Amino acid sequence: MKHNSVSAVINLVEPWEKLEPLTQDRPVGTLPFGGRYRLIDFPLSSIANAEIQNVMIASPRSGRSVSDHIRSGNDWNLDTIRGGLFNFPYNDLSLIAPEKKETLIHHYYDNAILFLKRSNSEYTVVMGTRNICNIDLKALLRYHKERDNRVTTVYKSVSASEIKPTNTVLQLTENGMATSIVEASKTIPSSEGKLAKDLNIYLMSTVDLIDILNEANQRGDLISLERLMKQAVIQHNANAFEYTGFFANIHDISSYYKASMSILHEDNFRALFYSQRQIYTKVKNEIPTFFAKSSQVKGSLCGTGGYIEGKVVNSVIFRNVFINRNSLIKDSVIMQGTRIGVGTTIENAVIDKNVVIGPNLELKGTADDPLVIGKGKRIFRQAEVTNE
Amino acid sequence: MTEKNEMLAIILAGGQGTRLGKLTKSTAKPAIPFGGRYRIIDFTLSNCANSGIDTVGVITQYQPLELNAHIGNGSSWGLDDQNGGVTVLQPFSSSEGEKFFEGTAHAIYQNIEYIDQQNPEYLLVLSGDHIYKMDYGAMLEYHKAKKASLTVGVIPVTMEEAKRFGMMNTDETDRIIEFEEKPEHPKSDKASMGIYIFNWPTLRNYLTTSFTTNKTLEDFGKNVIPMYLANNESTYAYAFDGYWRDVGTIHSLWQANMEFLSPHNSLNIGDRNWRINSKAQVLPPMFLTNTSNVNNSMIVDSCYVAGEVDHSILSQRVSVGTGSRIVDSMIMPGATIGKNVVVDHALVGEEAVIGDGAEVKGTDKDIAVVGYGEVVGVKKS
Repeated sequence: MKHNSVSAVINLVEPWEKLEPLTQDRPVGTLPFGGRYRLIDFPLSSIANAEIQNVMIASPRSGRSVSDHIRSGNDWNLDTIRGGLFNFPYNDLSLIAPEKKETLIHHYYDNAILFLKRSNSEYTVVMGTRNICNIDLKALLRYHKERDNRVTTVYKSVSASEIKPTNTVLQLTENGMATSIVEASKTIPSSEGKLAKDLNIYLMSTVDLIDILNEANQRGDLISLERLMKQAVIQHNANAFEYTGFFANIHDISSYYKASMSILHEDNFRALFYSQRQIYTKVKNEIPTFFAKSSQVKGSLCGTGGYIEGKVVNSVIFRNVFINRNSLIKDSVIMQGTRIGVGTTIENAVIDKNVVIGPNLELKGTADDPLVIGKGKRIFRQAEVTNE
Repeated sequence: MTEKNEMLAIILAGGQGTRLGKLTKSTAKPAIPFGGRYRIIDFTLSNCANSGIDTVGVITQYQPLELNAHIGNGSSWGLDDQNGGVTVLQPFSSSEGEKFFEGTAHAIYQNIEYIDQQNPEYLLVLSGDHIYKMDYGAMLEYHKAKKASLTVGVIPVTMEEAKRFGMMNTDETDRIIEFEEKPEHPKSDKASMGIYIFNWPTLRNYLTTSFTTNKTLEDFGKNVIPMYLANNESTYAYAFDGYWRDVGTIHSLWQANMEFLSPHNSLNIGDRNWRINSKAQVLPPMFLTNTSNVNNSMIVDSCYVAGEVDHSILSQRVSVGTGSRIVDSMIMPGATIGKNVVVDHALVGEEAVIGDGAEVKGTDKDIAVVGYGEVVGVKKS
């Protein structure tokens, strides 16, 4: 075992139902975010910045969109002769036929155990992707080693008013230990009105993690890795590491939309993308974005490869987006490859990839209930505009 | 010897580019940024990859650091496959002495060992400082069909322009019968593009003979082509009629950038069937603030715009402060432009800093230049 070496497990089996239709063809982890990223880029970048080179990715289904995005892992320094990237598809138990499930009992965690044993690492960090943050995993490891508990988990201190009663938070003891992870409604905010929003990040020794998985195999458990991690927090108590940087939790359309709008604030944008720890993503060779004579772009983020003739205000525009003249895009997210027709108005909307919106239409949601148009849709008549 | 490689490309990227003045003081001309997210050599490298050439040697000499870092292992252009790759060829010393390059043909001679290793049938010689899209495969087909010993790429120019180029006078079969360097009274409109396909064994023979005896074959234009014509080698002109620009001067570099801004530019940079690739950096998206005003311009990743940008190109990591106005200009990567600055008809070098309230103004005839890392108008505290 190599001293101080760390492996990482990214668990893409995350709740996706409330993010439909954005999650119809992709796990939460490959949801586009911030003009050119996917949610998985944030944990992968934290991993790359901590020089971790042994990574397992557990996908719910085939992992097509995951492999397409990550390929060899080269963009996160994972294309290496030591360790590297290991993809494990089909981890969503709800998709597995009952007779097949039978055969998984006592073997469901075999792949993860094998990965961890072969990693030869001393520690392992288990992360999801729905909590956007830019965390220093080296600092987390130092924190863990300075304390006695077998598990360290991570939280961000947020005002109780900022989170929904169904969001999960850490229950902390007076000396800052986490005893469990519960719904916000089942706990009491601190005297300052703060709650410890859990970031679904767990660090422990690789040997301990292997034990947890072996025991689950022996019991014949068929439960998600995330649930096992939560059980481990209850069982062992955990050190609770406070994260203080940019944070957004993506659990439904509204939270996705609000997180997208929040990075249009320059402070948030800089905190997430211009810290000492860079955010990496799949490298793309796009041409520069052309802003035509008639274009008016204010307070917005834009990816490359675009062609903009219309007016864009307070919006996130991804790569290769074509916005025709006399159109207005306001308080919206327009994903890669989408085309907006002449004279069309879009407000408070999330438009997925490769959508074509015809001319002279109105697509309007509200700040609390944004209009969502699913991937690849073609909309040419006002009657076709429906919130999915 | 290894298996025969049909055509090897050699890019001559060693020139100093003195006519680019301040811009090439610390970098080679082919490494100069172009069009917001490219460097000049990207066009030639992408043309090679798109033409199906998998082995490319890049000959460097003058200030090669930035160019080497840019080219890397060639993977940015897909030139890193198992059977080929990009090799950066720099002068080296051997038991015969130091191998600095005295001229274009001499540079090929000095790298004869590398070329022999690749064992090509045809040698494609290119320069790394032109902006164009060209299928070298089609040129090779032409070379074979003509049973040529040498084929020279030519482009039509006006009689006025012809006085600045090496001009090829041809017969009705496009065979070159005469070559004139910068003629006072041009006889044809066919200017050499500095693109040559040679039958390698023939050229190898000529070069070896020359450099072991009288050393008269230093330069392709000045020496090699006249000698081929004198020896009655079958030498043909291959006419190219697409967009092609020599960006060897400040004005031509600025002009080509301004042409690049036009959505109707015949270079057609957006054509996905002939992509121009570059070393891609992972940078955050561009951020345009509430005070920005951008028209007729191209902007790329990691730019921050709080001012006005009109008919200009901003490269990666450029920031433009509030109240500033950038007009008819090309700003190279990493330049910082403060508040209330005017930049008009200018080329601004990489990592330059233009202080608050400063003015950098050129004219159509006389483009202003800010050098790499140059600091303008910042009061020393």
